[in-house]
Amino acid sequence: MVGGLRRGLWGRRGLSQATGSEAEAEAGEREARNTPDVSKPRFTDEAVQSLLYKMTGLNLEKIFRPLKQKCKPATYKTMTDAQLEEATEKAIEEAKNKLKMPPVLSEREPINDVLAEDRLLEGTETVKYVFTDLTYSTPHRERFIVVREPSGVLRKASWEERDRMIQIFFPREGRKVIPPPMFKEKNLVQVLHQDRHEDILNLCISQFEPDSADYIRVHHQIYDDIDKTAKYDLLRSTRHFGGMVWYLVNKKTTDGLLMDMIQRDLLDDATSLISLYHMVHPECQSAKEAKEQELHGVDLIKVFIKTESQKEGYIELALQAYQETLTNSEAS
Amino acid sequence: MVQLGRVLRAVPGRARVVIRLAMRGCTNRPMLLLVAAHNWRARDGPFLEQLGCCDPMPNSHGEKVVGINMERLRHWLGTGACVSRPAEKLLGLAGFFPLHPMTITGAERLRKARAAEAARASEASAGPKEDAEE
Repeated sequence: MVGGLRRGLWGRRGLSQATGSEAEAEAGEREARNTPDVSKPRFTDEAVQSLLYKMTGLNLEKIFRPLKQKCKPATYKTMTDAQLEEATEKAIEEAKNKLKMPPVLSEREPINDVLAEDRLLEGTETVKYVFTDLTYSTPHRERFIVVREPSGVLRKASWEERDRMIQIFFPREGRKVIPPPMFKEKNLVQVLHQDRHEDILNLCISQFEPDSADYIRVHHQIYDDIDKTAKYDLLRSTRHFGGMVWYLVNKKTTDGLLMDMIQRDLLDDATSLISLYHMVHPECQSAKEAKEQELHGVDLIKVFIKTESQKEGYIELALQAYQETLTNSEAS
Repeated sequence: MVQLGRVLRAVPGRARVVIRLAMRGCTNRPMLLLVAAHNWRARDGPFLEQLGCCDPMPNSHGEKVVGINMERLRHWLGTGACVSRPAEKLLGLAGFFPLHPMTITGAERLRKARAAEAARASEASAGPKEDAEE
């Protein structure tokens, strides 16, 4: 699943085997460090992905809302009921494709490799040369990009220089050579005021590499803004919801999201959120209690609220209101 | 012993494939192409294959961008192409070839010239001061 995700996003000259084996080595290391029973769940685990996918929801109306496209005359089809069912199933399949979550990786290590020190060249040049290997068949991650400084030092190019050179020689659609100033912190605030979180997240994914510092910074800033202003519904039924939930769970600030879910009567989502929290932080108190007493549903939420959340009062009230409406609707 | 390819038997003796820089672009905006061409062709004329490009004007980040298709370059070098002096110097700077001796000599000459000029400048400034003191 992970391989398909990466190849789909970055084309055939995407992540190389080198980085693939690196990731495996890292995972192996991590498992060796932890005890054999407990290993920290990662974003790409099946269990985690299934929980996040459940929480994302499948609002077909929102996923297939009209996008800005070239104007084409509308096509109308007459169908029988069976054909309509088939068409809806196909639409659900396509929607699932659209909901494939973009990768969540840790920030890449800076490159500080010096290949040659020819200090006798100092003073001959005033600008640096950036040499890029244009062999068509090498993956972009393995491409040789070196810089000859005016001091005569020949070093490997930094990640930003690499991204720029690769975009110059092998341009990708939707990506600019110099990132637009929209992604700077103060300018992002403007965009977020207009409630265009999803649009700018899509732009960010096409502009930056998933493990670059800019990608991670922009994503975190947007998620923090959503958490602060409680605009979780903007990202529901989009492919960014999973990433946001993962970030909030790791940061332990899930109160707002929990309250939003209860207020919208999404109890299943609330329970999956809490089980995800327990998966990621198994040493917390509510996780231990839940395991001992094997709680489900509303009880699980109550235990979680008591032990882990900061806004206990608010969430309890919301839960009570929900239970009241439930009993009223059952009575009537 | 380098085997000359079949294509070179058409023009016997002096024919060579050369890897050199061809100038393109327009007025006040040069652009260099790293090119494998026949020896007897014009500098900017038809070539066998383009192996890369070099922008002699620095960009907004203060860098001169050079792209070289290493795989094809190795192919042409393997089939016995010669390399012109500027192309050799460029590849030396890139680290593909060792540094060209003229690059090193040029750097040393420049350093000596600058040192001599600095010495002359300090002498010139010391001279009038002595006159002024006297």
